[in-house]
Amino acid sequence: MAVGGAGRWFLLPGLGFLFAIDLIPLLYSGWISFYDWWLIRPRDVRFVGLANYARLGVDPEFARAVVVTTLFTTGAVLVEFLVGLALALLFAQPFRFLRPIRVLLLLPLFVVPVVGATMWRVIFHPEVGVLNYYLAALGLGRPPWLSDPTLALVSITLVDAWRTIPFMFLVMYAGLEVLPAELFEAAAVDGASAWQSFRHITVPLLTYIMLVAVLIRGMDAFREFDVIFVLTGGGPGTATQTIQILNYRAFGLGHMGEANAIGMVTLVLVAIMCFVLMRAILRPRGPRA
Amino acid sequence: MRPTRLRATLTGLALLPILAWTLFPIYWITTASFKTELALYAKPPRWLFEPILDNYARVLTNIPFFQYLKNSLVIAVGTTLGSLVLGTLAGYGFARFHFRASEAVRFLVLVTRMAPRMVLVVPYYLMMQRLGLLDTYTGLLVAYVSFALPFSIWLLIGFFVDVPLDVEEAAMIDGCSPLGVLVRIVIPIAAPGLVVAAIFAFLVSWNEFLFALILSGVEAKTLPVVIAGLNTDAGPLYGEMSAAAVMVMLPNIVMTLVLQRYLVKGLTLGAVKG
Amino acid sequence: MTIMRNAGRLAAAVLLILTAMLTADARVWAQGKSLTLSMLAGYKEDVLRASLPEFERKTGIKVVVDAAPFGDLYKKQLLSLSTGGGRYDVLFMDEPWIPPLSEFLLPLNERMKTLDLADFIPTTVAAGAFQGTQYAVPVDPNVQILVYRKDLFDQKGLKPPATWDELLAAAKAFHDPAKEKYGIAVTASSDIQTALYMLLAMWSYGAELVDATGRGSLNSAAGRKGGEVFLELLKFAPPNVRSYNFADVNKAIQLGHAAMAIQWASGARPMEDKTRSSVAGKLGYALVPKAVRQTPMRGVWTIAIAKSSANQDAAWQFATWLSGKEFGQAAVKYPSATSAIHSPRVSVLRDAGTRAFLPYADTLLDSLQITKERPRLREYADIQENLRVTAGKLTAGELTLDAALKEIDAGTNRILGK
Repeated sequence: MAVGGAGRWFLLPGLGFLFAIDLIPLLYSGWISFYDWWLIRPRDVRFVGLANYARLGVDPEFARAVVVTTLFTTGAVLVEFLVGLALALLFAQPFRFLRPIRVLLLLPLFVVPVVGATMWRVIFHPEVGVLNYYLAALGLGRPPWLSDPTLALVSITLVDAWRTIPFMFLVMYAGLEVLPAELFEAAAVDGASAWQSFRHITVPLLTYIMLVAVLIRGMDAFREFDVIFVLTGGGPGTATQTIQILNYRAFGLGHMGEANAIGMVTLVLVAIMCFVLMRAILRPRGPRA
Repeated sequence: MRPTRLRATLTGLALLPILAWTLFPIYWITTASFKTELALYAKPPRWLFEPILDNYARVLTNIPFFQYLKNSLVIAVGTTLGSLVLGTLAGYGFARFHFRASEAVRFLVLVTRMAPRMVLVVPYYLMMQRLGLLDTYTGLLVAYVSFALPFSIWLLIGFFVDVPLDVEEAAMIDGCSPLGVLVRIVIPIAAPGLVVAAIFAFLVSWNEFLFALILSGVEAKTLPVVIAGLNTDAGPLYGEMSAAAVMVMLPNIVMTLVLQRYLVKGLTLGAVKG
Repeated sequence: MTIMRNAGRLAAAVLLILTAMLTADARVWAQGKSLTLSMLAGYKEDVLRASLPEFERKTGIKVVVDAAPFGDLYKKQLLSLSTGGGRYDVLFMDEPWIPPLSEFLLPLNERMKTLDLADFIPTTVAAGAFQGTQYAVPVDPNVQILVYRKDLFDQKGLKPPATWDELLAAAKAFHDPAKEKYGIAVTASSDIQTALYMLLAMWSYGAELVDATGRGSLNSAAGRKGGEVFLELLKFAPPNVRSYNFADVNKAIQLGHAAMAIQWASGARPMEDKTRSSVAGKLGYALVPKAVRQTPMRGVWTIAIAKSSANQDAAWQFATWLSGKEFGQAAVKYPSATSAIHSPRVSVLRDAGTRAFLPYADTLLDSLQITKERPRLREYADIQENLRVTAGKLTAGELTLDAALKEIDAGTNRILGK
């Protein structure tokens, strides 16, 4: 332990700030979820206990939203993690021509999500969109990207992947760069192949960073709203209606109790997801010193 | 493994489709900013066309664009600095200092990011209202640092644990204080991690819309709110939106170009080992 | 050492940023009278800002504009008014928001008497009232109209359809998917417009969303007929109508794909914009088709005053000016590439100069005389949300028409506590 007892002083500023600014509002939000508070009747606030949660529990629309959100999150994170990792490995090679291309790969991160989604809508437009124009020219027909229930799910996953693969790439690439070169050189001297180096040096050391990347992305994908809303609005029907879209609806109508109940349920679901992921990835290797 | 010509070529080939997919929408947005709406929807799609500057002109004259750009910049830089300072300290603390509840506290840090952002709108609004921080830089800064901090901490923990312990211990034996070890030894080695955390925090602030909408309106209004306003009740203004988006992208690109120098191996053990 | 130098640079940068922040964080200290307006961002904001200096010069009142995007304006106003922060003096609001927000707004019955009400289209004034009290003054009336390709109709020697049956026949006549020409453009996605189209059709056949006793009554013979006609209409719409929203309807006309469209008047101006539309100048305008009755849906943007405002007189002056003839004329003629603020005044809409900028001015005026309003209830936003989701499920095939009608009424009753 390099830091020893002085560690608590390192932790205090950041944690103090976070718990004051974040945790208290979160507790307040949880508290609201036990009330019936309609913003247009601010004086008519009633305590209803678990009624908001009970209503969610029996609502088939909410159950469906949980399914849709889970499908989307799983698909998106899987694709983004694999492609991001592959890219990071490709770019970790010491070729000159790779350096200027790095910034190009990051560009989607810099596009404001609403604009990106709007432009993808233009690209996806079934009749005059550029994508279908070339697909039709290749004889692959004109897929109804946003009006077919299954394709709509694929579309939002595609756009989300487009936007966040750069982030996954960035995190894992930086992780690779921090790994000491000496280890790889020693392994090469000992006759290890590229695959063996990858398996026995890269993966163990990169595990924590990969976990963080997947966690962050998983949490963000589960709570994703802007892109889905602009692309499909939750449609067609309820095919892409995620929990966040329901939350937005409740919030937009001023039903604070209901909206916060949905929020708390989301929190629990995400917490479970994180817990499971952390146990699955960290446990086999033991806690890091 | 010696890098070979073959590997270089294969790498290049593998990258081509990814680059095409990544860059095409950017290209489309950029060209859209120079097209009329009619040209944007032209069939067959026009790759060559006569560019017009009307969209940029309209965006720059109809709204005080540079005012909002300044707002966004100040807030984003502030968020980045705040998150980096607090995050680096906390990240290092978690990485090297273990106490019984360490894992639980770390999880708790993440819990603050598990609820949908919308849920925090009313509490934050009331909080800022009471503190008189509505429509100010400070209000948004506080909110954004609190958004970026949890992930920054987790990211930095990940990078700090990969820094070899023996180097730090050697420095401490030489009489270096823990803070000194952090600043002089660990940060240079883990520099790529800080770059990632910086870019992440910057983007969280730069692209954030919901809280900018609710917590600001006039003085501290930021670019994402302005761009969302181009999604009018009569439909999106594709040309203007694209022009605004391109202008909004530029500071990010500049920032990345500046920071990417530190995204490389090199500041490693070799330089420090005695 | 490099680190020390960099740390020094960092410290300097931080100091610079902090200084910039603190000096830049200058608040506007009101000198003289000042009003804060919650406004809709976009072209309406542009039109307003163009005329504001004139207002400030004449009255000495400074107006600070806080503009929010269309999808979020209600939320922002609701949050601000409900938590009593007193952030806004005047609010630009869509008429369906007036019932829920009414308890935070200043009643204007007495003040209205000082206006020249005779020049206002009566239904637009009614749009600002709730349960007998006037809460807002009309500024920008909007209404559903029928847009059609006059050139195509003339070619075939057809007249614009007057009834829903004629509409279906005309849509069929112009529907030619092989040539990418479609009869009519509407929306059939989970967008709110879908629900409003369906409601228009159902209204036309005599159905009501909420009946006189406050119960959901869409599940009736009239409602079913209207629903069937709407679903039938989708057969003559572009194939991907199920992903269409307001903007896509416009695109279908602008790109020459659709021969007709039912659209809000605010969407008509972009159709006449040469940089966005290939059919500018070829369009004709008519009232929406009728069946048992003719019921173009009304949507008026109004200006309201917050009860908590400390500048009520100045606010009223602003409201008067915004609904006045001068602003109305300037607004209609504003060279916006997007759309226009329609004046609620008969004199402005009848003016010859207006017609040059709004080719649909006559249709707009005629439609506004016979509009039907959506139910004036505090709970309307919830009822409309239920309608929207159910309509979306209907067009996506998740529900049959009968099931959809039952679900709409069930939702309405549940929301109204019946």
